[in-house]
Amino acid sequence: MTQHIVVDPITRLEGHGKIDIILNDDGAVDRAYFQVPELRGFERFAQGRPAEDMPQITPRICGVCPTAHHMAATKALDELYHLDPPPAAKKVREMMYDIFTIEDHALHFYFLAGPDFVVGPKAPKAERNILGVLGKVGKEIGLEVIGVRKRLRDLMTLVMGKTIHPVFGLPGGISKPIAKENQAKFIAAADLAVEFGKFSLKLFHDVVLKNQQYVDFIVSDAYTHKTYYMGMVDDNNKVNFYDGKLRVVDPNGNEFARFSGREYLAHIAEHVEPWSYIKFPYLKAVGWRGFEEGNDSGVFAVAPLARLNAADGMATPLAQEAYEEYFKTLGGKPVHYTLATSWARLVELLYAAERVRELANDPEIVSPDVRILPKEKPTEGVGVVEAPRGTLFHHYRTDDKGIITMANLIVATQNNAARIAMSVDKAAKGLISKGKVDDGILNMIEMAFRAYDPCHGCATHALPGQMPLVVRVYDSNHNLLQEVCREKA
Amino acid sequence: MFGDDAVGLLAVHKVSEMAQDKADFVETGLHGVALLDLFIGYDKAIIVDAVKTGRFPPGTIVEIDPEELVPVGNPSPHYTGVPELIQLASELNVDFPKEFRIIAMEVDNISEMSGELTDAVSKGMNRLVARVVKYLD
Repeated sequence: MTQHIVVDPITRLEGHGKIDIILNDDGAVDRAYFQVPELRGFERFAQGRPAEDMPQITPRICGVCPTAHHMAATKALDELYHLDPPPAAKKVREMMYDIFTIEDHALHFYFLAGPDFVVGPKAPKAERNILGVLGKVGKEIGLEVIGVRKRLRDLMTLVMGKTIHPVFGLPGGISKPIAKENQAKFIAAADLAVEFGKFSLKLFHDVVLKNQQYVDFIVSDAYTHKTYYMGMVDDNNKVNFYDGKLRVVDPNGNEFARFSGREYLAHIAEHVEPWSYIKFPYLKAVGWRGFEEGNDSGVFAVAPLARLNAADGMATPLAQEAYEEYFKTLGGKPVHYTLATSWARLVELLYAAERVRELANDPEIVSPDVRILPKEKPTEGVGVVEAPRGTLFHHYRTDDKGIITMANLIVATQNNAARIAMSVDKAAKGLISKGKVDDGILNMIEMAFRAYDPCHGCATHALPGQMPLVVRVYDSNHNLLQEVCREKA
Repeated sequence: MFGDDAVGLLAVHKVSEMAQDKADFVETGLHGVALLDLFIGYDKAIIVDAVKTGRFPPGTIVEIDPEELVPVGNPSPHYTGVPELIQLASELNVDFPKEFRIIAMEVDNISEMSGELTDAVSKGMNRLVARVVKYLD
């Protein structure tokens, strides 16, 4: 018999990376809770500031995806001032944004989630990191990854300035055009990135897909959720990270909704749970039915897995081939296997590289016509981009001098919050019985959310070397039975 | 914008004004492995940052020798810290600093957005700056 626990406000999860697992009287998991850290105080922080400062300030929200915030803030300013930037400005913005996406996806695959696959989920934990990856595929790969990322980051610094204070996006365009003498650098870097993208997919194919144990792991039920999916698409319903409409498909893969960023409030609402500070976005038209899957539950997912499901294809040829192979191998659309996100990420990486190559070779990329000036008074603007980890919304309202009166942010991970909580809960339930919880459990549960790569995530300001993730196990009376946390190697 | 989180950036900014010729100064919001290529080509490096260990009163200067840190076996998202960086650099034989120092300040607020430092941290700023400058000399 399970005792029903009222989780009172004192026991709310807070801060970073805590998983609370509550057992029933039989020692099985009654409920697991994972608190994704939320951004507290953004609205208060933004109010009273000039909206024009947001593209410089908001990149500091996340050390991993500063460019995503910069771009979302810039696009919100376009709308705030009722401006449509010149085509060259949009092309340069998209090119720089896709360069960022390539280097971020590369970082994530090779250094963060990828090791789980390349080295293997059952490998000893000391090997399940980039060093283990290098041990398996050779050190030259490590140097190549670092080299490609550095090349791309140098181009970003060349055009955008420092990531901590980017001078690039402005309402109505960008601060300066690409110099003609630099165009060749972009073309060369794009060629390198395309080769790197092809190589990475081949690596995944050879090391992961040819290993049945890994494939079984990817498609295992513990990591499968049949939810709705949302991603940004262009006019042809192909994946686009910089601009387009938001498209939602249902758990069967059928289009459910298609809307512009500014209409997000009509489609997405937020649910508050008593055990969490965070709000869980869900689809208004479907409704909140709890942390459930299926057509009747408004839970949705974002990020690479979702984007590939929500689109009809990729806009570039090699990525389109990779897209088709991905769905063919995994049994058709939509793919519900959370762990397939790493593969989806590589398909996106290749698309971003091909798209950068297209844009870099476009004569208009060096056009001097990159800005139009605001003429009308500002009112309200929403800027949406696809950050590497999913859809990112910036929403500002200002007075007629451009001072912020309202600001709202939905970061990528927030959109995934409900699904992440479900993933952790499902993994915990599948792995824990008779009250036995060991170290191995920790990794299996972590894998469930590592695929999502939560942003502003579990990296805290603990002393270097300390792991911020803690799993606590409680009995049905909410007495703490066990605390499992990362040990030092 | 995360309150005391800015302490490292603000300190380095002040140090760079006082000791312009003594080093290259880089301000970054990146963390973990993304930092790797920033260090390539240098013999010595100092990282100035905020820490929240809960072990010291806010404002305390915490100096860490990376050799005392042990790499964590299996980092979670984003988190590969300095020991992992050093280990990775040595595995890859990249040109990485032989001398590494972390000079941090124990801080108070890093989770609530704010444009300001808390009191104790603000008061400790001069000591932090002085400590970094001392190492540069």
